[in-house]
Amino acid sequence: MNTLEVMPTERHATNDKNVIQLPYGLLGFERVKNYVLLTRPQEEPFMWFQMVGEAKRAFLVVPPHFVLADYRPDLSELDVAFLELNDPSEAFILNIVTLRGPGEATVNLKGPIVINRRTLIGKQIIPVNAAEYAIRHPLPRS
Amino acid sequence: MLILSRKPGESIIIDGHITVKIMRLEGDVVKVGIEAPIHVPVHRHEVYEEIQKNNQEALAQTVTKLPSLTAKAKPTPPRAVAAKNSSPHAHQH
Repeated sequence: MNTLEVMPTERHATNDKNVIQLPYGLLGFERVKNYVLLTRPQEEPFMWFQMVGEAKRAFLVVPPHFVLADYRPDLSELDVAFLELNDPSEAFILNIVTLRGPGEATVNLKGPIVINRRTLIGKQIIPVNAAEYAIRHPLPRS
Repeated sequence: MLILSRKPGESIIIDGHITVKIMRLEGDVVKVGIEAPIHVPVHRHEVYEEIQKNNQEALAQTVTKLPSLTAKAKPTPPRAVAAKNSSPHAHQH
């Protein structure tokens, strides 16, 4: 299995001090709780959601409005309370992208990462309306 | 595996702070109510496994060419849904 090792030097954190904390980690990676969001202009709108510490492993992520115009995950009351979202505009959403082959990629719309912009606390949530969205939503071929 | 018999309306308590209640039976569907502290994540098992597997696949990839995307719309904030009445707006403190 090829493991992604990303961290070319030119890739920079949007803000070095802005460590995003996921108290539950990502599903399947519960022990990794701290991430940074890295960007490179030529890769926009894609970004890298990189583990802090660990082996600098990173998930490719994309804000969902680049994929589906009317994407509206419904957050459960528990998730809203956990994330301390006072207003929907505080929620920053990222979806994990999987490259499946040359020019082929899918995005997970069923398990978005929701981050509170104010507190930088996040969680990979399963929205109440998860059934409406695909876990392997195809991206247009490049 | 511990197997307990329960009737609708009856419940099970786990570790003194997680309650699993059999709400009702609807044909071959059992409605289960779960009360757990906010720090205890509760998921449907198959959805949890599906997302876990997808996360692992996403991390195990090699980067080839990134797809090209252009914005389809302005970001729309998520909705918060109350457990019982489905309010279209996030709750306010």
